[in-house]
Amino acid sequence: MDFRELKKQSDLSYDIAVAKRNALEKANARLVVVYNEHIFRADSETINLVKTLSEVSTVPFYVLDSNNNPVEISDPKEFLQILVQRNQEAISSYHQMSKTFEKKK
Amino acid sequence: MTKGVLLFCFDTADTKYHSILERCVRLVKKNLKLPITVVTNFETFKRMKPMGFINYKFIEPELGNTKSGKEWNNVDRHMAYELSPYDTTLVKDIDYFCFTDNLLQFLDTDYDFLVPDTAYDLSGRNTFDQRRWSMIPMVWATVLVFKKNHKVKKIFETVKYIKQYYSYFNDMYRVYSKNLRNDYLFAMALQQINGFTGYDKLPLALPTLPPDCEVLKITDTGLAWKHDDKISYVENQDVHVLNKELSNV
Repeated sequence: MDFRELKKQSDLSYDIAVAKRNALEKANARLVVVYNEHIFRADSETINLVKTLSEVSTVPFYVLDSNNNPVEISDPKEFLQILVQRNQEAISSYHQMSKTFEKKK
Repeated sequence: MTKGVLLFCFDTADTKYHSILERCVRLVKKNLKLPITVVTNFETFKRMKPMGFINYKFIEPELGNTKSGKEWNNVDRHMAYELSPYDTTLVKDIDYFCFTDNLLQFLDTDYDFLVPDTAYDLSGRNTFDQRRWSMIPMVWATVLVFKKNHKVKKIFETVKYIKQYYSYFNDMYRVYSKNLRNDYLFAMALQQINGFTGYDKLPLALPTLPPDCEVLKITDTGLAWKHDDKISYVENQDVHVLNKELSNV
């Protein structure tokens, strides 16, 4: 057993884990989006809520922003499009970064 | 409705803040594309390289505050309301580097005053668990967005009041650090003016490099740092750098 090799592997794993966390945090920052003068996170929860409400509720409907203030949504299609666009921009960037981590392992 | 960025910059005997400002301005112009006003003194201004069209406001910084035993001219933030020429202002530390346009959208909200309350440690050690250091949750006054209106004026008046009696409030809230930190000053003011209830926040964890991370290189898209003999980097992600040796990079 070569302890130096084990330490090297451990250090590498740590470095990758920190870089991956930073990339995820970068994606999280990018998920924050302003719509209709209010702040939202373009995460799966918001996307699912807006999609569901646009299908089963009447327009306008109301959702909570990041500070729990109610916001009227009168154009769900536009809002959903912005949420999905921002979500995929952030996650695809994270996906690209993840690929570089795979190569380092 | 005018929008712009307000920056405070005063050189000290130990740190050439003007060289940090030059990098900061370049990134604000590139990524936020907003008008900039720099609050500074003539001594610092004389050392700055030409940075294109920028508004300047000259004041003499209030002296006396220190950080790690070094001069720290950070106590003029309470004047941001009067000094800003904009209807909506983004105030940020000059060592917060905008490698993205993430902050830009927050100037178009319905909110009067926004400040983040969390920071994210890019070195992976979670060193910003501030709850151990005071009886009040800290905010990160590194980044503030405010509108000029009656309510925000009252917030800044409260900031001034607390600043005037800072040692009293510092003891009352059992803040560990005895120097004046805008983070606590604004946290106290926001708690007081909001009737000891909650207040609206920027839902961002500020990506921050702790002081023991040495910045090795900065480009227009990101930066690299060394900590514990390891070199790491981020690209296209905003970064708040706490190590002021940055001015020599």
